[in-house]
Amino acid sequence: MTSDEAWETDGDPGSAGPPEFDTSVAHQARMYDYLLGGKDNYAADRAQTEAALKVYPEWAFTARANRAFLGRAVRYLAAGAGIRQFLDIGTGIPTAGNTHQVAQAIVPESRVVYVDYDPIVLAHARALLTSSDAGATEYIDSDLRDTSTILEQAGRLLDFSKPVAVTLVAILHAIPDADDPHAIVARLMDAVPKGSYLALSHLGREFLPPETLRQMQDLSRGNIQQEFAYRSRDEVAIFFAGLDLVEPGIVPLQDWRPEPEAANPGKSAMWCAVGRKP
Amino acid sequence: MSTEGPDGEEPDSGIPQAGGVILRLLLGTQLRRLREAAGVTPERAGYEIRASRSKISRMETGHVGFKTRDINDLLSLYGTTDEQVRARLLAMAQQASRPDWWSQYGDILPGWFESYLGLESVSSTIRTFELQFVHGLFQTQEYARAVTRLGHRAAPLSEIERRVVLRMRRQELLTRAAAPRIWSVMDEAVLRRPFGGPAVMRAQLHHLLDAAALPHVTLQVVPFASGGHAAASGAFTVLRFDEPDLPDVVYIEQLTGAVYLDQRPDVEHYLEVADQLGGEALTPAASKSFIEQVAKET
Repeated sequence: MTSDEAWETDGDPGSAGPPEFDTSVAHQARMYDYLLGGKDNYAADRAQTEAALKVYPEWAFTARANRAFLGRAVRYLAAGAGIRQFLDIGTGIPTAGNTHQVAQAIVPESRVVYVDYDPIVLAHARALLTSSDAGATEYIDSDLRDTSTILEQAGRLLDFSKPVAVTLVAILHAIPDADDPHAIVARLMDAVPKGSYLALSHLGREFLPPETLRQMQDLSRGNIQQEFAYRSRDEVAIFFAGLDLVEPGIVPLQDWRPEPEAANPGKSAMWCAVGRKP
Repeated sequence: MSTEGPDGEEPDSGIPQAGGVILRLLLGTQLRRLREAAGVTPERAGYEIRASRSKISRMETGHVGFKTRDINDLLSLYGTTDEQVRARLLAMAQQASRPDWWSQYGDILPGWFESYLGLESVSSTIRTFELQFVHGLFQTQEYARAVTRLGHRAAPLSEIERRVVLRMRRQELLTRAAAPRIWSVMDEAVLRRPFGGPAVMRAQLHHLLDAAALPHVTLQVVPFASGGHAAASGAFTVLRFDEPDLPDVVYIEQLTGAVYLDQRPDVEHYLEVADQLGGEALTPAASKSFIEQVAKET
């Protein structure tokens, strides 16, 4: 179900404005799609990804580990924490194991609101991320920075008197310090009741040697529609201020509650954690 | 490459349970890769199997069937000695030569459309843009009859009926297990042009709404009021397959034939337009309301 009633295409895209649909410049969502073996990417996305892989080969493992973390975190939230409502911000291009599929496989009634600031990416989500009959999905065209739009529109599907899991998977590093990402997360978590959760992953500064980090940043500057801010573990911890971290706390992607049988032959470049609002 | 059949079951041979066309394409793609990896020219490969360079090219693009002896000889030439790989490719070639259900309609089916049916039947995702006609997978019998008559004015009634039956049979794709995901964008003109008259068209519009209610079907309308891209492009279909190695195929129908594009730059041009259209069209929810409104006005 969705509650779009008007015959218009999407309304106000959000304060920062949506990215231009420009396939000649690499785009984070499409590079990620390429790394995960998808087919919704263009020549510039592949060239940029290949260049990044030359500098930092673990990039490929990081993308897979990030997707796997999303799956484990949503499973934990649905099966272990009793969460029935999800606010998934930074949806990206649909691939296997999307949030509503993981959650609804455990609890069919799960409700998921997907948010993305790219109208083309969101069009893919609307077309391909469709709910089971028992549950519901909704889509919001908004920039993460525009939390009032997100919260207002999410209220059409989610009941904010009951716990909500806010997932910010591999998106906060696209928000520069100038836009105060910590305040953005605080506004979102203020709006949800106690017993709600925050799950996030974030590029970590500690994982790359300084020279590699500099090369990665040089490579992306002007060549990708999003610039990345690599943050330290301490900076990531601030996102969880006032929340209780779920075991094992803030760890590299592959170390967050790994499946018993999972072999982890890689090192990822992202921190991740799940926290509960007490 | 995936070893699962489209229904998720693992066939004994580990070969996807797919139609002949896709298997030929799949096999052809692998043969080309093996040949290029071995540094063998198409001329040399053709010589090896007592054929021409263009025969090799047609084999590698899935346009012709394969003889077991030819595959054996080519694999030896390419230095492919792994018995499992050889057995798998040979089994694929055998399966590819089995007839498809639509072969009984050979008299009315042009070859170019037969290829399309093969590809459509094994797609995992079908994206379409329609300008004039409701997509064949969503047509009612009466609407299909009206547009078929239009295209085959001289045909006897019995032939028209067989064409309509073929189209209805093709729609079984929508309700089978492991049905492909269909993302169809259409211009408002598709909804407004009343083939078969207002009553037929009204029923057709309600049928579209039924289709849109299927979990794996997404319909979007580009209203007259919006959208430069809808006008700039003709109708086209992009077929996507689960196998990571297989490229998307763009299918463009013309009056007397069809064009298939599978070269990346060409395909990406269409994907880009499809993406633009998806972003420009009404959302799926708003599109349903729009179709309901047009049905009221029809």
